[in-house]
Parts: sequence; C-alpha cells; structure tokens
Amino acid sequence: MVEYGGCSSKISPKQLEEILSYLPLPDDPDILVDIDTHDDAGVYRINDELALVLTTDFFPPVCSEPYEFGEIAAANSISDVYAMGGDPVLALNIMMFPASRLPMEAYSDILRGGFDKASEAGVRIIGGHTIDDFPPKYGLAVVGYVNPSAIITNSGAHPGDNLILTKPLGTGVIMAGQRLGMTGDEDVTEAKRLMKLLNKSGADIMKKYHVKGATDITGFGLAGHAYKMAKASDVTINIHLKKVPLIGNTYNLIDEGCIPGASFRNLEFVDEHLHTEPGMDYNLKMVAFDAQTSGGLLISVPPENTEKMINDLHEAGLTSASLIGMVSEKKEKYIYLSN
Amino acid sequence: MKIVDTKGQLCPAPLIGTRKALRESAEGDSFIVIIDNKTSLDNVKRFLRDNNTLFEVSEKEGIWEVTITKSEAELSNENVEDYCTTGIAHFEKGDFVIAVTSDKMGEGDEELGKLLMVNFIKAVKDLDKLPAKMVFYNRGVTLAVKGSETAKDLDDIEKMGVELLFCATCVNYYKLEKEIETGIQSNMFVIAEALASAGNIVRP
Repeated sequence: MVEYGGCSSKISPKQLEEILSYLPLPDDPDILVDIDTHDDAGVYRINDELALVLTTDFFPPVCSEPYEFGEIAAANSISDVYAMGGDPVLALNIMMFPASRLPMEAYSDILRGGFDKASEAGVRIIGGHTIDDFPPKYGLAVVGYVNPSAIITNSGAHPGDNLILTKPLGTGVIMAGQRLGMTGDEDVTEAKRLMKLLNKSGADIMKKYHVKGATDITGFGLAGHAYKMAKASDVTINIHLKKVPLIGNTYNLIDEGCIPGASFRNLEFVDEHLHTEPGMDYNLKMVAFDAQTSGGLLISVPPENTEKMINDLHEAGLTSASLIGMVSEKKEKYIYLSN
Repeated sequence: MKIVDTKGQLCPAPLIGTRKALRESAEGDSFIVIIDNKTSLDNVKRFLRDNNTLFEVSEKEGIWEVTITKSEAELSNENVEDYCTTGIAHFEKGDFVIAVTSDKMGEGDEELGKLLMVNFIKAVKDLDKLPAKMVFYNRGVTLAVKGSETAKDLDDIEKMGVELLFCATCVNYYKLEKEIETGIQSNMFVIAEALASAGNIVRP
C-alpha cells in the first residue's frame, strides 16, 4: 500500500485558523464546546446529566499495512472523545479508496483494523461512507457521552498547574525516517504500538482526579496543541523539552535533519506566540513541533495530584508518562520552551 | 563548489542532505543545494535562518539553488536580539542552583544587606559557570519587581539561559503579580524538584 504521512496530509494550522475565523458560530446555549476554544471535539447538551461529544478525523496511510492503518486511524479518531473526558459510544466509517488501483483486500483490511480498534474502545460502528479517491484515506466520525459537569477542555488549564504528557513524542519523525530507510525496526514497531494505543486508560485516570484541562497531541505537535490550550485558558505554558519522553532514536533522527514538513508548518503557526530560551537545543525545539498521529494526552493537573497521577499512569502501562512543564499566569507569549 | 542535488526528493530528504553537507563542511566553506519543490525550499530556508547560517537563493524555471556558507554560529539557535542585549558570550552552566530566599544578603544592617544582594545578583552574570537554575521564594521574589536594579540583571541572566523559578504563592502574597515579568512562576512541586535535583545549592 502507499504511504503519504509526510508533508501533505494536513492543512496548515495557520490557514485553518484564518478560514475558521470567517465562519459564523451557531448561537445555542446547549452548545457547550465549539471551535471557539480550538477544542478537540464539539459538545452538545441533551440534558443536565448528558451531553454528546462529536468529532471526526481521517488521513492517508501512515504505514504500509492496511490493517494497522485502520487500527491507528480509529484510535486517533476516538482519542478526541477521550481528551474531552467523554466515553466514546458510536461511530461511522469515513473512507476514500481507489477501487481501481488497489486490491479490495486492502479495503476490507483497513475497515477490519478500524472495527477491531473501535470494539476495544467499546465503540459500535453503525455505518459509513466511501468514495473513490487516491491515495486512500480513512477515519471515523465518533459520538461519545459526557456529563456536562465533567467536560475536559482546552480552556481548563490554571496557573500553578503541572503538565503531564502520557505518551512519548516522535511518531512524525520516526515514520518519516522509516520512509527514508533511516529508522530501525524497533523504533517503528514502538511508534506503531503507541499510535494504536487508545487514550482510554489516560482518560480514566483524568476522570479519577477530576481534571478540567487537557488535550490530545496530534497533527499540530506538542507546542501547537499547547498553544491552543494556553490561548483558550488565557495562560502561559512552559515546557521543559529535556523532560519530554521520546521514542527511541527520535532525537538523533532530527539531528540528522529528518524533520518532516509538518514540523515547519507547526512552527510557523506558533512562532509569534513562542519564546525560546536562548541557547535552546535546536533538535529539542523541533521535537515540540513534530506532528503526532494518535499522540498522548497533555493534562493540566494541580500540583497536589501530580505525583499520584503519574504513578497511576505508570501502573496503567503508560510508563513514559512524565511531568513536562507547567502553567503560569499569562506572560508576553503563550508558549515558553526551554531545554 | 560541492553540489547537493535533491531534485526528485520529497521533504524531509532535502533537509537531511543539507544538514549532512553542513556537518561535513569546514567553517567558511560554501556549497550548493539544488531543490525542486517549494515546500522543501521553505523548510530548508527556515532551518538555515533558525541556525544563523548564511545562504542565498536563486531560481531558474522552478528549480532553486541555495548557496550555503558554513559559519561559526551554525549549531546554536539563539535569538539574535536576545543575544546582543547581554553582550556576554559564555553561557556554560554548572551543577548548582541558587536559592534566593530574601531581598537581603546575610544578617546585619538592612541597607547593607540589600546593597550586597544587588551586587550578588550582578556578580552571577560574571561567574565562570552560570547556575543551572535560580529559585526565588519569600522576599526573594521582590528582586524581580520591574524597574528595579536587580530586575534588569535577572533579565540578563534569564537571557543567558538560566531558568528563573519564582514561587507563585509568594508573588501573590506580596501582590506582585503585575510587577514581575521575568522568569517562570512556579508551584512548590517544581521548586522542590529544582532544589532536590541540584548538585549544590548556593544561598546568598
């Protein structure tokens, strides 16, 4: 199968932000979360106990095995519901597939991967839509439930909070390195394992500690999503990049120049809101902009719960979960990066 | 002149070729990178700018030639303006943390204590090795009140790459939220971690 992860798969966040600014937002008191706060999903109140979380995401293959691609795409789509504190329930397949150019076996393998991953998350796929297109693209539109009082959003980060990241970074760099024959099998296997890993256990632990602010790290990279969070919460986010867990040889690959185009787009997006420590290690800085596929959760947590939460995450198998920074009162810039 | 031809290569391959050629060049050497797509060109330019590397670009029918000259500053990524304001070029850090717990240095006359602290902060800039971090708590946070003599020096120290951690509770207690623009306002967990992980703690 073809692989198209690299430079081409997402619209520049800067362009997107501009386009979205021209769209009128519907005015309805039951819309609890919309794109105004740059959140991962929309939330609509049904009654005082129940709101629906709606989200969709799809992209071209990040790896060459159709089944694995299906699993990764599904885990990535469902992740937005987890990031909002919701329980994913139902989904529809969204598929673009070049029936004349690729074997139909690949088509069914992608769907099977998506189905299995959705089942693992307790999500029922009850339909979908396919059009003929090349390269293939796949993802889900997902509906989840959330209690309106327990929604977790980008705007819930408070000064004094610590920031925990639940998965290591580097999927963009590693998969780009693989396409160029620069990445070892071990790192590719680990990157795929992480991309397939549901953010369910992380989300369960967020709920246990009544977290208010979190997001999942995907295409805009750690710094891009942190910026959205800082802006929505009107705070400054400080990230210590040496503390950010990385997959295998990610740092060395960046050092050799394996920096996917998406990283530069993400850098452009955040640039004017960014303060970089003088003497900042360039490779570490670019780690913060690596576009993640199905990345981990970035959780804003009060100091008293930080250690307990990290222990819980480690016990749940998220052994790389780390304290990577903190939230402060809004300073001149939204994002402060240091070594 | 050495030529790196990246025609037909997709991002990030042209950047990888550029970085490799930079590594293999001696200071002052020039080489040419040929690029045939705009995205890769933009990314290579951005990379070179971020690393303060000199380059020129010329275009012929959709093919770009980037002439790159390796300079001394290649691997650093300082913000040039930040760099210039301090005028100090050595940024080596030691394995120690300075804990500033008061606006005065030592016991004794109050006025003398304050004067000594001003001089101490100034002297930090000239140390052979800078502290890994500086933490400020209790009246120590008042040293960063903007407009003061020490705030200017602390700004410089921060620009030299030293992380300044201010106890947020203390800043709030002394109602200085709007008066302090330097450093990072931190909670006790972060401060405790900074102190606990220090090789040595220096307390003026």
